[in-house]
Amino acid sequence: MVALENVAIHTLNGVQYGFVLFLIASGLTIILGILDVLNLAHGELFALGAYVTSSLVGALVGAAFTPDSGLGFLLVVLAGSALAAAVLVPVGLFLEAVLLRPIYERDEVYQLVLTFALLLVIKDAIKYVWGPKPVRLEGVYSGINALATVSIAGRTFPTYKLLIIVVGAAVTVGLFYFFERTKTGRIVRATAIDREMATAIGVDVDRTFTLVFAMGAFFAGFAGAMALPPTQAHLEMGADPLVLSFVVIVIGGLGSLRGAFVGALLVGVLTRWATWLYPAMELAAPFAIMAVVLLVKPEGLFGSWGERA
Amino acid sequence: MTNPILELSGVSTAVEGFEVTRDLDLTVGRGEAVGLVGRNGAGKTTTFRGIMGLAEVRSGSIRFDGTELTSLPADRIPGLGVGYQPEDRKLFTGMTVDENFRLPVWTAGDERGIEDEDEVVEGVYDLFEELSDRRDAEVQHLSGGQAKMVAIGRALAIQPDLLLLDEPLEGLAPFIVKNLKEHVRTINDQGISVLIAESNVTHVPDVVDRIYVIERGEIVDSGDPEVLAEKPEIRELMQGSGQYEG
Repeated sequence: MVALENVAIHTLNGVQYGFVLFLIASGLTIILGILDVLNLAHGELFALGAYVTSSLVGALVGAAFTPDSGLGFLLVVLAGSALAAAVLVPVGLFLEAVLLRPIYERDEVYQLVLTFALLLVIKDAIKYVWGPKPVRLEGVYSGINALATVSIAGRTFPTYKLLIIVVGAAVTVGLFYFFERTKTGRIVRATAIDREMATAIGVDVDRTFTLVFAMGAFFAGFAGAMALPPTQAHLEMGADPLVLSFVVIVIGGLGSLRGAFVGALLVGVLTRWATWLYPAMELAAPFAIMAVVLLVKPEGLFGSWGERA
Repeated sequence: MTNPILELSGVSTAVEGFEVTRDLDLTVGRGEAVGLVGRNGAGKTTTFRGIMGLAEVRSGSIRFDGTELTSLPADRIPGLGVGYQPEDRKLFTGMTVDENFRLPVWTAGDERGIEDEDEVVEGVYDLFEELSDRRDAEVQHLSGGQAKMVAIGRALAIQPDLLLLDEPLEGLAPFIVKNLKEHVRTINDQGISVLIAESNVTHVPDVVDRIYVIERGEIVDSGDPEVLAEKPEIRELMQGSGQYEG
């Protein structure tokens, strides 16, 4: 008999995992949907966010807070993560404006080769700056473990995971608000729908693409930053998020933000349930979900911009 | 013509490396409505796209209100005051009628000196009253005639000095054609210069002041629309059965 409180807690774990996946996949799908570029280096931007966080948050916590200062400590971790992600913005600006822009008109193979090369270059740069050994934020790690847990359905739930859910939900609302309600967001959508017509009404497409790529880099970095504290940063940490982001955006529909949100939560919750009920399925679960969705709806659950994203 | 708003001199355009128009000369006067008439594939759309900076201009000059367009980035051209309705409408699907009207104001409104966005958009609804109660509808749910109106309205939203209408009447039911023609005349009466591409020569005489006939990328005749529309060789040309002899 499956206890209801177990269902609740594993679902909540899945939602938290889903929000981390959405943070990563949102950048990937925005870049794909608008620039039509499949960015293979996206996972390394996630890793870079985690590594920059290790330096920034480590320094901030060491300088101003002790890990047992509760909410203040969490806010410092959050602010450090946002700062780390902000460091990714100029990286994104450079990558798009200098490296990607010259090859938009070429065959997609050029984009894949270039972004794969970027994956290797960023990984080497990380190795050069932080060294080959994993980086763990000892103070932050023990601080997060020392935080009081919250009680949900009679079970304890880590406060940091709850923070990720709250932040993930806020980012989700913010992203949808940006694309649905703001002028800039709607100009970006129009550019995604028809870049030539966007030009014909006065949109500077180059500038829009740069903005979008920097935004994608920011969210990849932010996901890495938020995911880091309870774990450790290591050189291979970009691979799994990249693969899982692909799974999420294939499920949701290539280029669809709404699809990435639904796909991420679906993968997050079902994977956590599978891990709980059939541990052997942990690795296979996301791919099994993707296979089922592709069999039922080969184009994914949602259309891209213009097909009602 | 003195001080035309649009002047094409010796313009040759190309698409994917193939030359489409050759040595094309065309002018539109201030406040004038001009037709560019020719069969499908004659080069009308490529000419329009060349003006908007969307097609390669290999040689020649395109001057709008004294500014050379061929040396400008395409996204600067709407801000100068050129509104463009493309042949296949190219509406921003998944977005509402209202969003389609507001987008050009957001992107080119500053250059056009637009201060009150709502006033401009309401002005477009005043012209196309049929769209007033469809403003929150996503554009893919509109009828063909309504979609054409949105495409024209979007071009009008920058308060252009010159409006390029590429086959605005094509594929529409006769009563909608009549309605749209009235709209075009109203637009022109407001002082906006209009250049209309049309493959049906009988559509334009009551809308434009002059027409150019384009065939295989070259201007082969020009003049009074009613006179040219009566020429047998023009009619044959439009029906795809004739060769223009001049």
